[in-house]
Amino acid sequence: MTDSLAVLDQRPQPGQPREYDFPQFERSSLDNGLTIIRCHVPGRPLLQAQLIVHGDAGGGATSEPAEHAGATVLTARAMSEGTTERDAVAFIEAAERLGAEMGAGAGWDSLSAHVEVPRAHLAEAMALFAEMALQPAFPEREVDRLRDERLNDLQQVMADARRRAEKAYPAVIYAEGAAYARPLGGVEETVAPIDRDVLAARHAALLRPEASTLIVCGDIEDLAIDDLVDAAFGGWSAEGDGPAMPSTPDKAASGRRVVLVDRPGAPQSEVRIGHVGTARRIDDFHALSVTNALLGGLFNSRLNMLLREERGYTYGVQSGFDMRRAAGPFAVRCAVESDVTAPAVADIMAELGRIADDPVEDAELDAARDYLIGVFPLRFETSAQVAGALSGLVVHGLPDDELDRYRPAIAAVGADEVRTAAAAHIDPEGASIVVVGDVSKFEGPLREAGYGEVEIVRDDGFGAGDE
Amino acid sequence: MSDASHVRFSQHTLSNGLRVIIAPDRVAPVVAINLWYDVGSKHEQPGATGFAHLFEHFMFQGSRHVAKAEHLSIVQGAGGVLNATTYFDRTNYFETLPSHQVELGLWLEADRMATLLDAMSQENLDNQRDVVKNEKRQSYDNRPYGSFYEKLMAAVFPEGHPYHHTPIGSMEDLDAASLEDVEAFFRTYYVPNNAVLTVAGDVDEAPVIEAVERYFGPIEPNEQLPPFRRPHDQPALAHREVVPDDVPLERVHVGYRCPAYGTREFDALEVATQILAGGRGSRLHKRLVREEQVAQDVAFFALPLVAGSSISAGWVTARPESDAATVEAMLDEELRRMTRESVTDDELARAQALIESSELSALSRMDEVADRLSMYAMYFDRPELVNEQLGRFLAVDAEAVRDVCASVFGSGERATITYVPRANEEASA
Repeated sequence: MTDSLAVLDQRPQPGQPREYDFPQFERSSLDNGLTIIRCHVPGRPLLQAQLIVHGDAGGGATSEPAEHAGATVLTARAMSEGTTERDAVAFIEAAERLGAEMGAGAGWDSLSAHVEVPRAHLAEAMALFAEMALQPAFPEREVDRLRDERLNDLQQVMADARRRAEKAYPAVIYAEGAAYARPLGGVEETVAPIDRDVLAARHAALLRPEASTLIVCGDIEDLAIDDLVDAAFGGWSAEGDGPAMPSTPDKAASGRRVVLVDRPGAPQSEVRIGHVGTARRIDDFHALSVTNALLGGLFNSRLNMLLREERGYTYGVQSGFDMRRAAGPFAVRCAVESDVTAPAVADIMAELGRIADDPVEDAELDAARDYLIGVFPLRFETSAQVAGALSGLVVHGLPDDELDRYRPAIAAVGADEVRTAAAAHIDPEGASIVVVGDVSKFEGPLREAGYGEVEIVRDDGFGAGDE
Repeated sequence: MSDASHVRFSQHTLSNGLRVIIAPDRVAPVVAINLWYDVGSKHEQPGATGFAHLFEHFMFQGSRHVAKAEHLSIVQGAGGVLNATTYFDRTNYFETLPSHQVELGLWLEADRMATLLDAMSQENLDNQRDVVKNEKRQSYDNRPYGSFYEKLMAAVFPEGHPYHHTPIGSMEDLDAASLEDVEAFFRTYYVPNNAVLTVAGDVDEAPVIEAVERYFGPIEPNEQLPPFRRPHDQPALAHREVVPDDVPLERVHVGYRCPAYGTREFDALEVATQILAGGRGSRLHKRLVREEQVAQDVAFFALPLVAGSSISAGWVTARPESDAATVEAMLDEELRRMTRESVTDDELARAQALIESSELSALSRMDEVADRLSMYAMYFDRPELVNEQLGRFLAVDAEAVRDVCASVFGSGERATITYVPRANEEASA
């Protein structure tokens, strides 16, 4: 057996790479100012259309009034819950008859509506899609139900350690009152007063043809997309000035904080470490992408190899930058066994400390670059994925050749650029620590480690009566 | 012109028994490599649960020519993505790579099938046991309602049944695992005649089959594959359990035994499930969430299990002003209605339109195409189901839906597990 397996002694060499180009796309516009992007993706009969309401990046939750935080997300969710033409059930059933998945969502920078539908039903689906986007009725009964569901969900957040950590983290790293300090979907005090009039007003302020782009992707070569879009969206007009933008949604907290949320008896600690990160539109985006990949993006990243494969502390650890129009959070995230919380935090801090200072090894640099370059085509297999990439260009105001430029730009990142990007964007001294877990297991060691003053949060209803 | 995708593929069997499927598709310069081993948690013996899954972790700990964790760095370094999953009926390993790296992927899979034991060590065993324990804490123990899966399977399938325990298994059993156990497991199941290999994507058939023959051909089969013992008859099912937990909202979980995956009855059940809970136009969502507003969310599904029978399960989370008893009563009414009255033509048409879109979506990803080919070949010896399954869903009629609902939900035999907030439980005690 051993001899015949000698064929395995030699690792195979790669063949000749086949060229890959991001699918070509074309722009046009309607008389009312709506931009259309058409992108033909051969062999993909399930089409995706997305209406991106970017409002030149005031189209999302960033521009909503703080007292109604969560209103933009609710506006988007309520758009498919009834129109001026038909009630919620009739609307949903009409979409289902076409095999169409239709809905809307909102992020910090934009509101987007989407429809996924087989090619054969595109024309009918486009008309229904416009009805949802432009004529939502915001029926009181449906709006009240969605609001109550969000309030119930906020209770569920408190019971789920991961979601509890995700809620706590931005409030720790951003200054009080900064838009990014709050959850995208709002909190109890801001969601409770929302009613249908708030949503209708939000919709009227955001939905403007000249500040929106309609993207259509899939096997559309033979389809008259512009005519279909014109028929459905050509009559759209808007009045008023559009939403006002806050000046600094990303204002940082004044310094490092250490916040421990107590969950007596929790089997694991949810750990978040980091600080305010960066906006998407930066010159060193590609260098920072490589930096993050080798720090905590790849399976074989420095963080995962240490905490998972060497120590066995965790099922996995990741780092990441959430890049928005303004500076979204940078975070290292993991769940670790309660007893090793303090040593895990120390390991993460040490890795953040050495990313800008220690040499970058050729092997890890190659792995990070080759990974990012290689997986690029894998990210765009479906119509929905292609549309998602194009919506990123629209929301961030990036040039049309951004996706074509990606692979050569990643290939050009060297060790010096990685360390420069790390020094510019990763600050171990300023990194806050949030842990949701059994505080009795790690409070002492974390105090002794001297990261700073330790704040302890005890949520109502957890651990009460157990001790 | 039809929008349905058609997957072209060819089948081969090596002399050592490895089944190979190749599906060329030139849409993008990527290739999906997918390997199914016919071993899952249903093959585990009492006292050795969680073993198939623990073993899956070892497959990333190195082999003769690959160092610990290097498998992942090689794939990611080649610009690929990969993963593996352990299920009741099987374990699968898969990577998607730029197509010019197809040989590298085949070599990696062959090296660990042929020589995994060269790299096996007590240190790796201890380390991966810790990782798996943290996986269990993260995925089950530290989640609200996180124990339902384990409890429901244990309730629906009696002690000794292969589906009685879930793939994550028991941590005590894992602690008892020795290096010898792991080695025996490998020699028994990780052999070419217990596997299906699919290569789908931007490749030509001839060079791929040549490379597969070259790397996998010399690996010896296990001529004594243990036969899987079919489960015996099951006793009547009537299980009720109340679980106090750190949850804010009451939730009812139900589980029924149902026909096995791959049967016409299971296809009809999938359509029934779509009508019951497959989106915002479904019956349960419409009544419990939208109209009566007693539920925060609803879910209903059937697991694709093949050994004799499967499980159809669902849950309803009660809103704070409602309670578990109220939502359970409404759930029962809706399930009973499915057993008595036919669904309408419109409901059936909507459900089938959504299923068709969902199938189109799945088949537009190479990794999913490859996974389905491996699955259909392993479970049913019919990889052509990749092109037939949609037609089977579309052929389901209202009578078939009612019949399967009557047989599954009609007897009232089920497991019911109710989660209540700890505070409520103390107050009512």
